[in-house]
Amino acid sequence: MSGSSKSTGGGLFAIGYSLLFFAFLFGPLIIMTITAFNSSSFPRITPWECFTTDWFGALIRDQRLMSGLSTSVGIGIGVVAISVPLGLAGALALSEVSPRLRTALYSVLIIPILVPGVVLGISTIVFWGSVGRLFGGDHGGIFYNGTFLTLAGQVTFIAAYAMLVFIARLQRFDPTLTEAALDLGATPGQAFRKILMPFLGPAIGSAAFMALLASFENYNTTVFTILSGNTFTTALASKVRLGTDPSLSALAVIIIAVTLIGAMINEAHNRRQELLRTGRASRSRLYTNPVTRWLTHPAGIGIILLGCAAALVYAGSEHDSRACRADLIEQKRAVQERLLQEQRQRIEEQKRLQQPSATTPPQPSNNPSPFGGAFSPGGLAPGAAPAPAPSTNPSPFGGAFNPSALAPEAAPAPTPVPSANPSPFGNAFNPGSLQPKP
Amino acid sequence: MKGRWQEFAGRHGLGVALFVGLGVGFWILFLIALPQIAMFDFSLRHNLPPSEIGGAKDVYTLSNYAAFFQSADGSANVLDMGVLFKTMLAAVFVTIIDVLICYPIAFILAHSARGVAARLMVIGLIVPFWVNEILRAFAFRVIFGATGVLNGIGMGMGLWDSPIDFIRADIALYSGLTYAYILLMIFPIYNAVEALDRNQIEAARDMGASWWRVHWRVVLPIAKPGIASGATMVFMLTAGALAAPQILGGPSNLWFTQVIYQWFNEAGDWQRGSAYAAILLLCCMLFVMLVMRVFKVDIGAIGR
Repeated sequence: MSGSSKSTGGGLFAIGYSLLFFAFLFGPLIIMTITAFNSSSFPRITPWECFTTDWFGALIRDQRLMSGLSTSVGIGIGVVAISVPLGLAGALALSEVSPRLRTALYSVLIIPILVPGVVLGISTIVFWGSVGRLFGGDHGGIFYNGTFLTLAGQVTFIAAYAMLVFIARLQRFDPTLTEAALDLGATPGQAFRKILMPFLGPAIGSAAFMALLASFENYNTTVFTILSGNTFTTALASKVRLGTDPSLSALAVIIIAVTLIGAMINEAHNRRQELLRTGRASRSRLYTNPVTRWLTHPAGIGIILLGCAAALVYAGSEHDSRACRADLIEQKRAVQERLLQEQRQRIEEQKRLQQPSATTPPQPSNNPSPFGGAFSPGGLAPGAAPAPAPSTNPSPFGGAFNPSALAPEAAPAPTPVPSANPSPFGNAFNPGSLQPKP
Repeated sequence: MKGRWQEFAGRHGLGVALFVGLGVGFWILFLIALPQIAMFDFSLRHNLPPSEIGGAKDVYTLSNYAAFFQSADGSANVLDMGVLFKTMLAAVFVTIIDVLICYPIAFILAHSARGVAARLMVIGLIVPFWVNEILRAFAFRVIFGATGVLNGIGMGMGLWDSPIDFIRADIALYSGLTYAYILLMIFPIYNAVEALDRNQIEAARDMGASWWRVHWRVVLPIAKPGIASGATMVFMLTAGALAAPQILGGPSNLWFTQVIYQWFNEAGDWQRGSAYAAILLLCCMLFVMLVMRVFKVDIGAIGR
């Protein structure tokens, strides 16, 4: 084995590991995407029921999420407007102070990133609450306003994110440029506006984008500071906690699609910039041909991708899964009907034989219930009772809502024999054990 | 100090200097320092009705902190202390897993991947983290739920008969947390490893070092500040996570942030909640500083 590829981490191992890693990264997202199109009311892939786009409609009709969305957009814009200048101020201050002070200042400004979001949220509402009391304001004042508090709480740490972006950019700045401008007679303000600000331009863009994303995503701080209100993320979290529903998968599909389109346009933009900078553009075949030149332009790619997305959305909105769903319900009813019939027949047979000693222990249920079959109708039936047909119902309620479970035939039989009952309650809840022995 | 101020104002103008001074001052004073002090002060007070605040009964007390160590009947408060200990331990566990997963990929990204592959990898790393944290946790619930994808496949293939409760076993939670903060581990390690001169690796190899020895003696020392930075962020975020434990946590297993959340939003005792938040902050900070001391890393390395 030549150590060349192995010792540097190259070769097969690198490829295999990268593939595994990206499978872990994208697997959950892909699975979630698929569940958005299954008509099953719990997000899952198996069993596949019907292809549907109804969950997107359900998502848009969710009032709480949509009002949270508008709150989030407002807060996001506010956070960008405050945290980007603060981050810039922090980065500029750090670039000027003496090395010893620099370490101290950096530690203080970086702390909000490290402090748990929960702590930031609590300290924000407690602090501004006491400020409100100081001014004798009532509880309707600005210091008890969820939007204001969320803004204050989020800016605390998002400004630090913005600062990191600016620090990285400032490290590549050549201070002699400013010196040269000053020597040539520019005022300090002019030098700042014409030299440093244009240099920081791209960093302002990416800091603003990061701040918007971080504000939109934040949960830990916002859940405290928003008080009784809701942002998009807190509304989302309470929806997830209350119950899972594929409309959340639909939301993920939308976000992933937007992200991918954004990433592709950004990549096209970067490549074009690189081509133009290196001067290879005039030699590139892609660039001399007007059609391919337009096709590789970021705007061209954006238009094409958005067109595709719009076509898909239109096709999806036209799709009607009602026929398939009706079919499915019909099938389920047929299966239940058949099970009921089978059960009736078996009970008839049992009655005809009428042998008290011939007890049939309840058949092991292959019910995939999370309650371990505790709620399975067979679990509570006395041992001597005729076992209900093995339920093939994949319901999370363990077949408790199975119509056949309520059928009178499944009622306790007159001769209870405490025996092979697999009940987790050890027969304590066996209805037969309370009956006087005949 | 004054000289620097004048130098700064001379270079960028008085307006910029004022903006920087006021901005940083406002940020440190009103957003960082005073809120933390207010929270600490608040945690030392009794939970009084609004009419009695500022009155004769509004005195300092340590009862909120005492309640963390001792329950009402005088016995040790094993429950809350246990939850804090378990949270810290789980956060350490998740951090170690993240280091193990991310170190190879950061190294591959820095030294093996070239051109298009490297660009695709960077995009592939970032894109999943544009998806909302709540939805990422939700994805793991879809996978690990009782009627979820994993149970569906496993039972469909006949690997197990009854659904495995991944949520109660905390497997879903640990996977979700490991996934949630991967990016914050990869980029610091990548930034550190990228600075390594390839010739050093070649030299070590020419001297006959085996691959693990090259990593242990050449790459790891360079990667150490990156690993420390990433590990600090992942540990603090994991210990302070609230969304993932709420969504993926088992019914009987609480995260310490959930205890704080309950004191605030369900019990309505903000003072007790503040005290618990202060305890969480103190424990996490002390732990991080201790580990940094042990591994001889400076706090300035964080965020690079």
